Amino acid sequence: MSLLPFLLVTGIGAALALLSRGMERVATAIGVIALLLAVVTAALIDPGDVLRIDDAGLATTAFLRLFLLLGAICGVLLAVIGAAAGSRRDASAVTLALLATSGLALALPDARLAVLAATAGGVVGSLLTITPSGGRMGATIGMRALRAAAVAGTMAIAATAWIGRDLSELAAQPVVFGLAYLAMALAVALRFGAIPMHAWAARLTDSVPEATLPLVTAWAPAAFAVVALAWADQSIAPLLVDVDPMRYVVLAIGAASILLASLAASIHDDIEHVVGYSIIGDAGVIILAVAVLDPAAWEPARTFILAFVVARSAFAAWAAATRATFSTGRVGDLRGWMLRSPALGVAFVAVVVASIGLPGLAVFEARAEIVSLAVDGPLAAILLLGTFSPLVYYGRLAVVGLARPEAGRGGIVAGTRVALTPLDLTSARRWLSTTWDANRAFTATILALVLALVAVGTAMGGFGGPAAAAGLPPRLEGITESFAPIDPNATPEPVPTDEPAASEPAGETPADAPSLQPVPTS
Amino acid sequence: MNPVLALAALVVVGAAIVAVSAREARTVVLALAVVLLVSPVIADPIAAPVGLAARLVGAILAGYLLWIAARDDASMKLAHAPTGGSRIGWPAEFLGAAAASVVGMSAHGLGAPAGGPVIASAAGFAVAALAVLPVLTGRDVLRVAIGCLLLLDAGLLVRTALGGTPGPLEQLLVALLLVTVAACAAALGRAARLDPPGGFDYATEAPIRVRRGPDAHPLPESERDHPGGVAGARGLDERVRPRDPSPPRP
Repeated sequence: MSLLPFLLVTGIGAALALLSRGMERVATAIGVIALLLAVVTAALIDPGDVLRIDDAGLATTAFLRLFLLLGAICGVLLAVIGAAAGSRRDASAVTLALLATSGLALALPDARLAVLAATAGGVVGSLLTITPSGGRMGATIGMRALRAAAVAGTMAIAATAWIGRDLSELAAQPVVFGLAYLAMALAVALRFGAIPMHAWAARLTDSVPEATLPLVTAWAPAAFAVVALAWADQSIAPLLVDVDPMRYVVLAIGAASILLASLAASIHDDIEHVVGYSIIGDAGVIILAVAVLDPAAWEPARTFILAFVVARSAFAAWAAATRATFSTGRVGDLRGWMLRSPALGVAFVAVVVASIGLPGLAVFEARAEIVSLAVDGPLAAILLLGTFSPLVYYGRLAVVGLARPEAGRGGIVAGTRVALTPLDLTSARRWLSTTWDANRAFTATILALVLALVAVGTAMGGFGGPAAAAGLPPRLEGITESFAPIDPNATPEPVPTDEPAASEPAGETPADAPSLQPVPTS
Repeated sequence: MNPVLALAALVVVGAAIVAVSAREARTVVLALAVVLLVSPVIADPIAAPVGLAARLVGAILAGYLLWIAARDDASMKLAHAPTGGSRIGWPAEFLGAAAASVVGMSAHGLGAPAGGPVIASAAGFAVAALAVLPVLTGRDVLRVAIGCLLLLDAGLLVRTALGGTPGPLEQLLVALLLVTVAACAAALGRAARLDPPGGFDYATEAPIRVRRGPDAHPLPESERDHPGGVAGARGLDERVRPRDPSPPRP
């Protein structure tokens, strides 16, 4: 089973990093080494592997491999950026734990099991709020994040349990299916901190450094969303049950998140809040995908998720590098940042391209398809325009960046160049430390640029993203046509019974009756 | 109805009432441990030995982690720290749980034949009803953590009632989830207790949002004294300590 080395590396690495948290440099070193090993082991995952454990098991897919590979790469880069620009001592451990739980969640074919692993991943993120000073405020914010993950997890456990059993003798109204679906969709929204459930995410943005923010609000919920999408496509979509009232609620949450999060990001004056709300805004598109309930949304939704997590990690890396370079996160104090740090400007442009996309890019097409599948008519056009609302806050940052720098602050800032210090072989450790300190902003900037380019590649459909996203979810058996919707007009298959089935009214499988009604018997 | 399952359900609901009603932190943790220990037994047929062992070990570990956060420790200057307890009193909690268990019993299967025992549904609904108030209105770390763990346990009981006894892998994942939640809650609770004036209480909301700087790898002082920096511009809390100032270990 090629997934096991990855799970072992990330699981053991997380435990070791947590145990050594008192020595932050050691913990960071362990974390970075484990993350590098995670990149290698993720690359070695073989799609199609199956490990059976009793009647359950793990199965690998190409999407799982790509998700974990991108996650490990982003994790390494964000860890080093965090080491350069300031981070939390538990950041590497949390990243590794998130990767381990995401690997489990995406490899478990049974949604009832997958939501357990995905919930554990969300809970771990609360550790990022713990700091030696001001522990009470951090604990308060962390507890709210933990509560959101636990409540979402309970909703998902109940929803998957209700559907994940033999329903051949169902006697309930179809609305119950809708309630199960609504519970799962709300769980996804809660995990992303979608509007109006964003209070915990907004406070978290205040509390954690930029480089760690996408771990909690993007990567962990993304794995949860993939599980929810697979569950909805397998369990709800084929039933042809009328769940429109519930869909409208989910659509409203998605639309509100897209539009209002962009508005919030545009008016906030701190770049960490811009990053936080930009994640919520993009999560709105994923929530729209959950609302589609059509197999056609499967591939674009997963393609968008891949692009979303990497692009938002790149944006957070840009924000961390900007803060490290200019020692401020206030938009008003960043006048001329693009002129004074061209490398950050290039990274910013790459982030914009990766998150908004251009016609023809995979992320652009995926977003447009999700919106067109979610709503019809003029509303679709309005919503599609709304997905370009991030251009407002991107434009604001660009205008500030191109403005004339404040008096006395012109020229290229020191953090954008390599700072060479005289080599001192008599004290190599001191020299290394001095050189590292002198190049921290530069290191953060260059790595942010690298991450932004990875994001552009993902948005373009590189690394085999769309092909991996189009694949089926993990299966312990052979490939099945699990997403084919049940045709309401199809003649039920004859069932061997003693009495003839002719007494059943033929062709009366209406759309308002669930298609998994009992197989007709007299 | 299996009398052993009924007894186990009574123990779970009773312990859950104690967990949400008591103010003594150690009593609360002990009651929660009982809930987590007995809950996996409420299944018909009972879980496979491997899965059951995973749940029991997970429950003990989860309880022990919370115990570490809740116990008094003079050497760490962790004084006695109570938790919020119930605002409506244990009799009201008991009546709410009883009503919820009746609902759970009558709604068993939620419209379709269920794969698990009806008593699991009753216990799940009762524990869920008990968990709602701590989760929604809790104002201290331990109480909200207890509520979250009870809520998850309630969801798992309902899952058993609907889908039957979970398999070994699912039991292992459940144990992993519960231990993770308990470990994170214990870490958060300890962080709160180490911050003056001690106790598990939530921080009072500041009138303005306070940005809290990195605790690991902070920028050097010379780079943080930028005149346009956040600390200078808004008077925000950018205090960063180069070393872990946590109290010495005993």
